[in-house]
Amino acid sequence: MNVTQDMSILHLILQASAVVQAVMAILAGVSFMSWYYIFMKWFAVRDSRRKTEVFEKDFWSGGDLNSLYNSAVNDRHHAGSMERIFEAGFREFTKLRGQKGLDASDVIDGSRRAMRATYQRELDALEAHLAFLASAGSVSPYIGLFGTVWGIMHAFRALGNVGQATLSSVAPGIAEALVATAIGLFAAIPAVLAYNRFSHDIDRLATRYESFMEEFSNILQRQMR
Amino acid sequence: MIPPAHQEPGKGKALMLALAVHLLLAVALFLGVQWKTEETVVEVELWSPVPRQATSLPPPPPPPREQPRPEPKPEPRVAPKSDPKPDPKPDIAVKKEEKKPEPKKPEPKPEPKKTEPKPEPKPEPKPEPKPEPKKPEPRKSEPPKDPFKDLLEQETKLTQSKARTQTQASRIAQMAAEADREQKAAGRKSAESNWAGKIKAKVRGNVVLPPGIQGNPEAVFEVNLLPTCEVQRVQLKRSSGNPALDAAIERALLKSSPLPKPDDPAVFQRILEIKYRPVDE
Repeated sequence: MNVTQDMSILHLILQASAVVQAVMAILAGVSFMSWYYIFMKWFAVRDSRRKTEVFEKDFWSGGDLNSLYNSAVNDRHHAGSMERIFEAGFREFTKLRGQKGLDASDVIDGSRRAMRATYQRELDALEAHLAFLASAGSVSPYIGLFGTVWGIMHAFRALGNVGQATLSSVAPGIAEALVATAIGLFAAIPAVLAYNRFSHDIDRLATRYESFMEEFSNILQRQMR
Repeated sequence: MIPPAHQEPGKGKALMLALAVHLLLAVALFLGVQWKTEETVVEVELWSPVPRQATSLPPPPPPPREQPRPEPKPEPRVAPKSDPKPDPKPDIAVKKEEKKPEPKKPEPKPEPKKTEPKPEPKPEPKPEPKPEPKKPEPRKSEPPKDPFKDLLEQETKLTQSKARTQTQASRIAQMAAEADREQKAAGRKSAESNWAGKIKAKVRGNVVLPPGIQGNPEAVFEVNLLPTCEVQRVQLKRSSGNPALDAAIERALLKSSPLPKPDDPAVFQRILEIKYRPVDE
């Protein structure tokens, strides 16, 4: 009558129908990519926060602006976002100040525009791949659900062929199908968590950069006089 | 102006970590998800309808009836042959070998002894057996002991072989009957356990367990069924020790009143013994 069934996860995956297996493969890929981006973003955000702190300390400790600029230019590949913003603004400022017939406000506006452009570029780099995490977090449960619904449809169709409907004749099919949802959730939950965490971190960094830009403009304006 | 130096830091590290996370997950799933369903075995053991022994007893009788048949048959067959012979000796000889070797041993022994040394008893048997089938030949043969012996032996062999073949046949028939019975019993057993499973599922669905059950006590009920599988009477045979649980099970049994019918109507029994545990392992 009842056959004892050993259900290992491998067995469940291998027994599933082709569509469910495809769904599982897609979800495994999504999960892998999202974890890859999670780690990458984690390192990137941590790195830029650390560099920002170092630069802020250097900047506000009253060092010479020219020497700061030189160190930023010389060590461009290890410069943080804030250092790059400073570099862009100061370079534009020195260029514009050398030209005659320019108002002080024009010089400050020019350097602010240069800083803003660099700021946008830096933020864009920081926010890269965050969209992937967002869509992985919102869509992979649905992909998993699709696999599950498909698998359950199969299970019930097979149930129709069996004369006597017992729970044991549907249960394995449903278990197989539910593995798809499980994988979808496994892909989605970390992606959503990471997305929220990183977007919050990047927002805070952006606020820091913007306030630095304003303060640096003030310093440049003071230097014009 | 400023080259966007976006070498994302730690690409390789991120890749390795992502791989590690998934490997970890795979291992955890593989080790953690090893569901084994063995409840079904317990299901079969939990139920043992009382009258099964009563119904399974009737089948054995038929073979015993078959057994006696072969035994009586040889006797009548031997008897007609021995009828012409007035002497009781051949009969006794046959019977000795077949049934009673102990009490009539003394008689057969004297015969062979007599046949060898003394011609006295020979004349008596000789004329009698000879008339039947092969008397002329033994007569021609000079040794007078041989024909009688031969005849005796032949006859005994004949009867023996007949008896053997009959007993063999009866044995084969018996074995076949037994195998048949076993098959039927196995079929019935599976049908029975199937039915028991169905009943159990229905009852389990109707049981409202009272709070505060300690352990997994077993209650035994005797249920009288109508042929339509309606519950006629429920009687507690052995309490689980928890009156509330007993009452709950009894209510559930009554509530699931038309119990599911067995697939095989032959399995149906009027009186069922139902053992119930609140949790089946």
